[in-house]
Amino acid sequence: MHVDIAYTGPASLSEVFVGMIEALLTPEFFITALALTVRIAPTILFASLGEVISEKAGVVNLGVEGIMLITAYTAFYISYQAGDPAMGLLAALAVGAVIGVVHGLLTVYLRLNQVVVGLGLWLFGLGIPDILYRISFKGISSPTVKVFEEAPIPLLSDLPVVGPILFSHNILVYTALLLIPAVYFLINHTRPGLNFIVCGENPKAAHAAGVNVLRTRALAVLIGSLLASLGGAYFTTAFLRSYITNITFGRGFIAIAMVYFGNWSPVRLLLPLLIYNFVDSVQLILQTADIGVRYYVLNMVPYLTIIALMPVFARGVRPPSALMKPFK
Amino acid sequence: MNLPYFFKFVAANVGAVAIGLSLGLLIVYATGSDLSLAATTLVLAPISDFYNLAEMLVWFTPLLVIAQGIGLGIRAGVWNVGAPGQFLLGSVFTMIVWKFLNPYIPPAPLVILMLLGGAAGGCLWALIPAVIRARFGGNEIVVTLLLNLVAVSVLWWALDGPIRGRFSAGYPLSDVIPTVYRIPTLIPDTRLSYSLAISLAVAALFYVLVEKTHFGLQLKAVGLNPVAAKNSGIKVSWTLFRALLIAGAAAGFAGSLHLLGVLYRMDAGYAETGNDFGYIAIAVAMLGGAHPLGIVFSSIFFSYMMIGAQNMQRMIQIPFPLVYAVVGCMLISLTLVQRAYRRSL
Repeated sequence: MHVDIAYTGPASLSEVFVGMIEALLTPEFFITALALTVRIAPTILFASLGEVISEKAGVVNLGVEGIMLITAYTAFYISYQAGDPAMGLLAALAVGAVIGVVHGLLTVYLRLNQVVVGLGLWLFGLGIPDILYRISFKGISSPTVKVFEEAPIPLLSDLPVVGPILFSHNILVYTALLLIPAVYFLINHTRPGLNFIVCGENPKAAHAAGVNVLRTRALAVLIGSLLASLGGAYFTTAFLRSYITNITFGRGFIAIAMVYFGNWSPVRLLLPLLIYNFVDSVQLILQTADIGVRYYVLNMVPYLTIIALMPVFARGVRPPSALMKPFK
Repeated sequence: MNLPYFFKFVAANVGAVAIGLSLGLLIVYATGSDLSLAATTLVLAPISDFYNLAEMLVWFTPLLVIAQGIGLGIRAGVWNVGAPGQFLLGSVFTMIVWKFLNPYIPPAPLVILMLLGGAAGGCLWALIPAVIRARFGGNEIVVTLLLNLVAVSVLWWALDGPIRGRFSAGYPLSDVIPTVYRIPTLIPDTRLSYSLAISLAVAALFYVLVEKTHFGLQLKAVGLNPVAAKNSGIKVSWTLFRALLIAGAAAGFAGSLHLLGVLYRMDAGYAETGNDFGYIAIAVAMLGGAHPLGIVFSSIFFSYMMIGAQNMQRMIQIPFPLVYAVVGCMLISLTLVQRAYRRSL
């Protein structure tokens, strides 16, 4: 149990914010926090981009958190067995594909309530990996896996300030960042992407124009699920070396909130996402730095930030017209 | 009531439950445990002795109250998945009311104030998603889930500040509520208290509210067809707003009941109590078809299953997350079979 003798009383939230801002005034701290922001970003970014695609086509995948929990464990287990994070990543994608197909079947073809299926998938993901972990790693104390190593980009990583922040990460971080323009291009400039938009805005018109609405939506759900599984795998193939219970800790739900803040645009969601991750990074660093504020007060700050940001970013957003409405 | 429809509905739900349970037993089998021992423990342990039976009703009480609120929301088409957070806030508020008012107010009225404080705490925690939903059209589900995480931090902060116990010695512990402020025990030597009667009264209240009042009719109209409801003059946003607040108040009230009737004190582990009740209550409301009477029966079933599962865990060392996996699977199979019989779910 964490007992802090020198602690004199609960700090008010304003004191916490003041402490954070004071810490941020030192340049080294600032760069460290920004580098950590970029390193944490993929834990939400992959899932957010996937959710943009599936919601654009009209299907909310509330089970993102569950998918991430399951695939994080899958990646951990396989890379532990194979000794290679790439194998873990591939296995996570395979599992993500299976879940994506099932989710599409249930919500698109059988027209089940997307909220219930998502919650069910989440609870399922909350339970299963832990049981499997305890069975598979019985007797092994704190197993760890190899993760993707840092791959600084030559020349660019030597730049002052920008180098350590943007160009000194592992390959999955670059992948996540490059996926932003890729998803933007997919949605706005390719035929399948435009079909997604029509199916999310006006499925009847899409149907009349000869688009197979059900198949298009199922495809969007599948892509969304694959991206979410990349996000899950990121936890255990790049971010952490060991597995812990409830490893994603609500980040799947934050990913969904970001889609809403970004007005269903893969580019616009970046700003709220970075703000959230920046606040989170600062509080994580401060937790280890011990500035006399209890960790649970610090823990609250990112969530409160996101809720406080709601009126700012939620102004003028418009969801796809047929969001959560099954077709036919 | 249409009887053939009713029996089909019940049969379908039993099928859905069986799917979830068989998944659970499959996992038990996969772990190499004794399957027949597991199954008999699951089925027989809750009714094997008086203590287990009472424990079952200890689970029944908060599940019933929380699920009534969630069910009311479902009827209106709004999903309150924030019950865990509302449960915690309700409990914290109950404790705060006791701590600050007990020198001034005699026990009997104070207990009533504490229960009301619990409902107010849950209501307040539901107010945030309700405002966001009604004012900004945001998704209440994501907000409530995030608030559940915040509520855990609020609990820990409260245990360290306003409701920290006098003898906590630095640990996150509250004071123990003295006997005069507790809800009296119903059966000696068990944890079952008169909270049970209160929860049944709450269920009756919900029955009247949903089935016999104008407000209940509005709820159902909004849930069935928001556009038609709006065209017939119902204020849809306002109805949803009230539905969320009522659901929050119910969950907070349940926290109050559990604190005053069963646990009497709060510690860091209280967060898990809230999670268990709050999330399982969603499945309870679903299984009960979101009908106040149906929820009474599904609460009995789920509390039976929970006590069975707890005994099974102790007997064959299966980790508790199994329950979450089974409930998750049940949710999906429930909505799958109910699809055929209900349009509103």
